[in-house]
Amino acid sequence: MAGEALGAPPPLVQEQAARGAAWLDEETRALIAPDAGSLPEAPASAVEANFARYFAADYLNPGHDQYVYRHPNGLCVVGLAPGHVALKEEGGITAVDFNVGKTDRSEIKVTGKRKRNAQHLQENSALCKVCTNDKSFIVRCCVKGSLLEINDRLIKQPNLLNTSSDREGYIAIFMPKPVDWLKIKDKFLSSEDYKSLRGIS
Amino acid sequence: MTATTAAAEVDAEVRGILERVAADSFPPLHAVHHLLSVGVCVPCTFRMFGAFSHVCSCTSLTASVLHSFLEDHDDSAKGGPCSCLSTDEACCSVCFGVLLPTCHQDDGVVSFNGISPIDRITSMVFQAVQRESYQLDEFFLEISLPAVVAANERAIRLHMKEKYGNENWFKDKIFSQQTMSVKEALRLLLVPSLEKKLDVKHGNNSFRIRLTYTHDDASRKLKSLLPNDRNRKRKTESREGTDTRRNSTYEDNQILSETDSFIHKTLECIQDQEFCSLFQLPPEKVFKPCHLVISCLRSPIYIGGRYLKLSRNVSQSCWIIDDERMGEASVEEIIGEDVRTICRGDGCKFHAAGREDIDVRMLGSGRPFLIEVLNARSIPSAIEVEQIAEKINSSEKKYVRVRNLKLVDREIWSMMREGEAEKQKQYAALIWTSRSLTDVDLQKISGVNDMEIVQNTPIRVLHRRSPLERKRIIHWMEIEKVEGSSNYYLLHLCTQAGTYIKEFVHGDLGRTHPSIGAILGCRAEILQLDVTDVKMDLLQ
Repeated sequence: MAGEALGAPPPLVQEQAARGAAWLDEETRALIAPDAGSLPEAPASAVEANFARYFAADYLNPGHDQYVYRHPNGLCVVGLAPGHVALKEEGGITAVDFNVGKTDRSEIKVTGKRKRNAQHLQENSALCKVCTNDKSFIVRCCVKGSLLEINDRLIKQPNLLNTSSDREGYIAIFMPKPVDWLKIKDKFLSSEDYKSLRGIS
Repeated sequence: MTATTAAAEVDAEVRGILERVAADSFPPLHAVHHLLSVGVCVPCTFRMFGAFSHVCSCTSLTASVLHSFLEDHDDSAKGGPCSCLSTDEACCSVCFGVLLPTCHQDDGVVSFNGISPIDRITSMVFQAVQRESYQLDEFFLEISLPAVVAANERAIRLHMKEKYGNENWFKDKIFSQQTMSVKEALRLLLVPSLEKKLDVKHGNNSFRIRLTYTHDDASRKLKSLLPNDRNRKRKTESREGTDTRRNSTYEDNQILSETDSFIHKTLECIQDQEFCSLFQLPPEKVFKPCHLVISCLRSPIYIGGRYLKLSRNVSQSCWIIDDERMGEASVEEIIGEDVRTICRGDGCKFHAAGREDIDVRMLGSGRPFLIEVLNARSIPSAIEVEQIAEKINSSEKKYVRVRNLKLVDREIWSMMREGEAEKQKQYAALIWTSRSLTDVDLQKISGVNDMEIVQNTPIRVLHRRSPLERKRIIHWMEIEKVEGSSNYYLLHLCTQAGTYIKEFVHGDLGRTHPSIGAILGCRAEILQLDVTDVKMDLLQ
């Protein structure tokens, strides 16, 4: 009945489909039916579609590659780029420590719309330490601004950096002032330039 | 009947009234005479003795009539020209003549040749209503008096207390019950005439006719006498500024309304004793009447219904950043403009039960909304409302549709807000997964029943919202494969109000968990989202 473009739900699920029997009227069904022919093979990912991606190669230290994803609202997500040396180590990253000497960045609680209590950090400030079996590497902020949040899931699941450093393994979110962003944005590489630099496809 | 006998009859009637009032309410007549001589008008005098309603019906009860009555009955009132007879030039020391009723507007003092004062004001009100072509079912008369009037009343009271406080009749006759206020008295005077002329009843608050009386000179003078006179400093500052003359009227008006509230507050705190020391009792005579401004205002009316948003490039409310509009149009403007025009309102506000992003369509039975129309000149009939709906629905650009558009009570507004957190919403999302889904996968999705998820504030709104963890419930989900495509599915879900659907699908870098991707153990992306049902009974 409703649209040849959509297949029937699997038989085992029929009883649950009943709860939505009065689900959708014909008109709505027609409106939501997608045009299969116009769908791309693989769509852009949420990160690609929603952020401008910037890369820093050898940031302050050879092999310390990092990324900055900037959202149109000004927020910057910071993490390890695929070429980072720590990711190449035997056994990968085994621990993440946000305690960088003076403060434990994982302890700070930022509250409210005005983002009270956020630390104002410099590009070169230490953000955290990532450890492999026998080495540890300092990760820098790369962005000057307020530190809104650190990804505390990394503390319990450091492996996220090994499996998806470009998504769930992000390290922190910053809010730079527009002025400060403009000063540094041209120092970064685009995704294509970074890939050719490191020979990644 | 000849003119003289008619006049004599009226005279007799008036005297009859006076005899009764004198017996029931008046104190010894020399006290009444004293009030007249310090410049209190006849209506105010009667008010103070609790006899205003008698004056109300009797327009020929002038000061001279009262005076001759007093002369007849009280020897002390006799004996040559009396100061109270010259009150025809001065205004009442309490109400500035508001109760006569006199007034003057911007075009100078109004003359009353041939028309009674009450009729005159009634005509002026009628004109104000006609000018805007207001459509009325009822009205309420709002009266605003300068604070000086209350001060004057208090001054007269205290003066009488000073003079006659020790007399044994004082407590019974004067101010024995709650004295009728000038406002109440004026309302009593005007309402019957207004009801007749406007042909509607007085009472309901929805259409307000406001009579604003001001007396700049007296207000300023009173303020300057009060302690904590900050006003003096402000006046000198404004004179020192550049080119004050051009702006002085505006500034004066600002200063005067601040003046009034300042006077009220200060007087409340001043005890009677201090009052007597600050002001002249009885108050000085004043020769200028009050300035009257007549204005009308209808309280907001509400037109509600449900809207559908069929475009992915139209925002719900008007969205402008740095002078540039985001999207092509807004639901608010599309519906609001047509409604406001038919109602001939000053402006309108858009309220909806929740909202959707600019790129998300609102389908199904639509989302409940209200348009609040300010100061509508006319209230649309059911047919006119249908016509508005017709117009919107048959517009060339099929951005927005409305259903069940109708006039509603203001209670609907709070009903819309109430229980917002419990309202469920239903969606259809076009999603893509990084691997093909098996039957087991599909069952996992359909098997979901009131699943709790935790959403950290999505990155896309984190710049303007608090960083919080929000627990939300996914009530149920259904999923269908999109035939002719690989890895695309149509996901139907019903969730608690306030759930971020896009983030639930792609996971927002792991900040929403579990997400569709996490449940299935692969990557999931969302391409399109539609709201298919807003589960509310309202405006259904």
